[in-house]
Amino acid sequence: MASRVSLKVKGKSSKGSKEEEKSTAQLVKEWTTWAAKKAKVITHYGFIPLVIIIGMNSDPKPHLSQLLSPV
Amino acid sequence: MATLVPPAPEQKSKEDEKVDYFNLPCPIPYEEIHREALMSLKPELFEGMRFDFTKGLNQKFSLSHSVFMGPTEVPSQSSETIKIPTAHYEFGANYIDPKLMLFGRVLTDGRLNARVKCDLTENLIMKANAQLTNEPHMSHGMVNFDYKGRDYRTQFQLGNGALFGASYIQSVTPHLSLGGEVFWAGQHRKSGIGYAARYNTDKMVATGQVASTGMVALGYVQKVSEKVSLASDFMYNYMSREVTASFGYDYILRQCRLRGKIDSNGVVAAFLEERLNMGLNFILSAELDHKKKDYKFGFGLTVGE
Repeated sequence: MASRVSLKVKGKSSKGSKEEEKSTAQLVKEWTTWAAKKAKVITHYGFIPLVIIIGMNSDPKPHLSQLLSPV
Repeated sequence: MATLVPPAPEQKSKEDEKVDYFNLPCPIPYEEIHREALMSLKPELFEGMRFDFTKGLNQKFSLSHSVFMGPTEVPSQSSETIKIPTAHYEFGANYIDPKLMLFGRVLTDGRLNARVKCDLTENLIMKANAQLTNEPHMSHGMVNFDYKGRDYRTQFQLGNGALFGASYIQSVTPHLSLGGEVFWAGQHRKSGIGYAARYNTDKMVATGQVASTGMVALGYVQKVSEKVSLASDFMYNYMSREVTASFGYDYILRQCRLRGKIDSNGVVAAFLEERLNMGLNFILSAELDHKKKDYKFGFGLTVGE
């Protein structure tokens, strides 16, 4: 009985440490996936506005009307 | 450095040209090794109508508007090609600086095609490109780091889906450069290694490439005169036993550029870009696939520098 109990206790503690190890690796994976998804959305919506802002601030500075007019 | 000079150049000093093996030219990047053959044999053929308008706001900054109407091929299992008529408008913005280049194109269905090229230092260049869509799992992104040495170039690539690649190319003589590449794709569980060689003089370029994916590609481009060059290409896949050979010409004349090619798959193609006026280009494209009975004709106009 005692040996069974001690085995059970050992089993629990090893399982516990395994769970902790799994969770740090899993956390890192989850954070990188979350960061990659956010980066994808930001790039998707923000890349062209970023290029336009950088372009409008380069010299010689073009006028806003030049951006919108078709000529 | 003087004590390290090997006897070979001293022996060659009897000839008119002394080959200085410590002063070789920098080779062209590994992915551009077939550049001349690709430029002549693979123009951007299209089917339908294309209209491109590029408006420069600045020396460095320009916007582009592009309209395309025509059938697009849909990949199908049967041997018949399925075409769906599509029309789209594409808006683009480019910023070109000596140190930073940004290129963005967005379509009406939300697809974004973005390219960034940044010179981090004099010899280290970072390039990134991405195709982003609204559909999940259909977006791709890739980052390259290129290092240019005195007579060699190395490149390291990272892509989404655990794609890693590296390549190295070295000038061995003033005319010959040899290189190799290795890649590993985690998602598809594939890896491969490849070698390439390029021999060029002022008049001709000969390239060869072998890869462990089963591809063997050989190319030869001869510059017959200032205006005319002829190119030929041979591709063999030893895994799937497919062979393609093509032969083409490239005429660069004052007012137009005409490229044509004929293939061993029964494909005859031609592409004409005619300069009607300053900043106005007229484009005609034709591709006749006699084997599949698929004939594609396209015309277009490009306005802007």
